[in-house]
Amino acid sequence: MKNDIRVTYPLWMMGFIALLGVIAYGINSPKTEFIDTATETSLTVQIGPFESALIFGAIFVYLIVLTIFVSKVKQYNKNNPQQKISMFSIRPPEYLEADEGMTYITRWAVQKVYTFYSLALPALATVVIILPIPRLLIIYAILGLAFTQYGIYYAEVRKHFKEETE
Amino acid sequence: MLKNRVKEMRARHSLTQSDLGKQVDVTRQTIAFIEKGEFSPSITLSLKLAKALQVDVNELFWLEGEKEDEK
Repeated sequence: MKNDIRVTYPLWMMGFIALLGVIAYGINSPKTEFIDTATETSLTVQIGPFESALIFGAIFVYLIVLTIFVSKVKQYNKNNPQQKISMFSIRPPEYLEADEGMTYITRWAVQKVYTFYSLALPALATVVIILPIPRLLIIYAILGLAFTQYGIYYAEVRKHFKEETE
Repeated sequence: MLKNRVKEMRARHSLTQSDLGKQVDVTRQTIAFIEKGEFSPSITLSLKLAKALQVDVNELFWLEGEKEDEK
């Protein structure tokens, strides 16, 4: 159960979020120059070699991780035809609802995430309103919230699966 | 807090958590949660567990400080 894709799902999402952070840095780093005169209209986008490597490297790693993740989900669905994970479901697949014990653990973890958001979102909104924060930092703050959300959820669920004994 | 002697009764019947879980239609983890006292089962599950372990539900579960001395 510890290695069940539903249990480890938050870790996968944390990995994807970290990669998105790298891609976001690469995409936001180019220098752009827009010229609009009577004789010329042009847009120049300059991406440095390091940033280019970062973007394409991160996209490459992202695709590899995504492929592994999709194959893991397919394997899970094959072994658990009664509890298939849909990649396009609105309901988060990390919810463990096989029985009332699992539902209890899930509810407990979701409550902790809700508590986190009820504090973090207003705090972030206030900071963004008051301070002149660059776009990239706002993106990182949002990714940070999502990363922390999955971290809280995973830590809570994992806590209950520790010291499993027959 | 709800106390229980599921682990003790399960051992008496030489059942693993998986065996008992299958009998009452829950996962092994849920049996482990109940035994550790992390989760208080519903009345339905309590009755199912009592039936599977062939004891009265009052012998299997009790409130802390009420009948503990008798157990």
